[in-house]
Amino acid sequence: MKRTDLSANNISKCFLQPGEDRLLYVLEDMDFEIKEGEFVTILGPSGCGKSTFLNILAGFETANQGQTFCCGEPIKGPSPERAVVFQSPVLFPWMDVKSNIMYGLKQVGKKKGEAQKITAEYISAVGLEGFENYYPCQLSGGMQQRVALARSLILNPKVLLMDEPFAALDAQTRYSMQQLLLRLWESNRQTIVFITHDVEEALLLSDRICIMSKRPGRIIEEISVPFEWPRPISLTGSGDFSQLKSHILSILLD
Amino acid sequence: MHENNGRLGFTGLILPVALFTIWYIATLDGGVPAYLLPSPLALALAVIDFTAGSERLGPYSGTLLVHTIASVQRVFTGFGLAAAIGLPLGFLTGRLALAKSSLDPTVHLIRIVPGIGWLPLAMVWFGVGEKTTVFLISLAAFFPIYVNAAQGAASVSPLLIRAGRMLGANNLTIFTTVIIPAAMPSTVAGLRLGLGLSWAYLVLGELTGVTHGLGAVMMDARMLGNVEMILVAMIFIGLFGRISDLILVGSFRKLNLLKRGYEE
Repeated sequence: MKRTDLSANNISKCFLQPGEDRLLYVLEDMDFEIKEGEFVTILGPSGCGKSTFLNILAGFETANQGQTFCCGEPIKGPSPERAVVFQSPVLFPWMDVKSNIMYGLKQVGKKKGEAQKITAEYISAVGLEGFENYYPCQLSGGMQQRVALARSLILNPKVLLMDEPFAALDAQTRYSMQQLLLRLWESNRQTIVFITHDVEEALLLSDRICIMSKRPGRIIEEISVPFEWPRPISLTGSGDFSQLKSHILSILLD
Repeated sequence: MHENNGRLGFTGLILPVALFTIWYIATLDGGVPAYLLPSPLALALAVIDFTAGSERLGPYSGTLLVHTIASVQRVFTGFGLAAAIGLPLGFLTGRLALAKSSLDPTVHLIRIVPGIGWLPLAMVWFGVGEKTTVFLISLAAFFPIYVNAAQGAASVSPLLIRAGRMLGANNLTIFTTVIIPAAMPSTVAGLRLGLGLSWAYLVLGELTGVTHGLGAVMMDARMLGNVEMILVAMIFIGLFGRISDLILVGSFRKLNLLKRGYEE
């Protein structure tokens, strides 16, 4: 029986609507669970509260109701054991690639020599050798997102929370980033919660797909993705794949 | 910007060349008397004499270094004090509601009085000269440093702070490793304004009567009817103001703290 890494029970989150006295419920009675080493995508229409949910798991926001746990402990604020990859890279523009990736190790008090060795490993793991001394503004969007991925993975987090990390990239770059993520996942078996609105991405990447309803959001259907690893791009042309895709789309568009 | 430099260079030269020509012609045969405006040649000689002492034109021969050291020391002390107080207070005001509500109204109330308005009071408190000059400089430089540091710290992207948090930064390190570096572009703008004001208030303070300093040279030279030395002192104040600005910006650029975000 695998350990449950993250769980959310009965989460509700509301905001005060600007200019009105009414509360806007973004999430209502949301339940969620993810086991160690699992790769789960959360799929939902835009505005359904999936990013808000991720922010609650990350500890950036707190739920108005309900509880969240990471490995049995209640979540109180952000922590390196739940690393986040945002939709935009959010790198520190005044630091070069190496310092951006090493930042977390410095914060947790790793010795300098060791930190540099680990950083070099991660730089090569995300394919950025030769770009160590570049600044974020000198990199393409895809390369910036590689840096963001490396600086989060370097802390060896229990859970990786990803908020539509590849949505802003062009199709080709997105595909290569997906492959990179899967390669890294194969070797580390991180637990991953991955938010997306792209059905194909969800089907190509994850073990399980949680589909959210329109606002107020909660999970209305869970699908175990039946395809074997590795999943080549040709899979997207197969009958099973398109059948599952149209099934998911029909739920989303309902 | 850079492609236009050539053309800008040419059109930009027209006005100074014209002004110089008018100045040259006007002072040519005593048209404008030398006690009002010296000729370009006389001014150039005065600059050389002030710097090297080679022409032995009078009491200011070769005294540039003495006066410069005195003035630079005052600017350095006054500006240093303003930065030492203004930066931490500004950063705190930008991030902490308590600091903002307790400090900001008072600071802005004091700011309404122009710096020059403090001169008489400063002379009563600190006497004529050294301390008054340093006081006026730090007072004037404080406000732009404080306001821009606060503005910079307040407008740090919340996403950068979240990124620092999830990578393990605590309350203190978030400040030192994220908020302060991210606030730098605005902060440096404030420091530059403050440094410019420091040179302005240096002249004001030194006019009240100190023995050494570029402002003192101007005031003395006026009493001696020595117009070219007034102009020479003005030239060097402008020159040193520009050099100090370049050093300031250059050192922050070297630390890579003026790199802007990729989103911009």
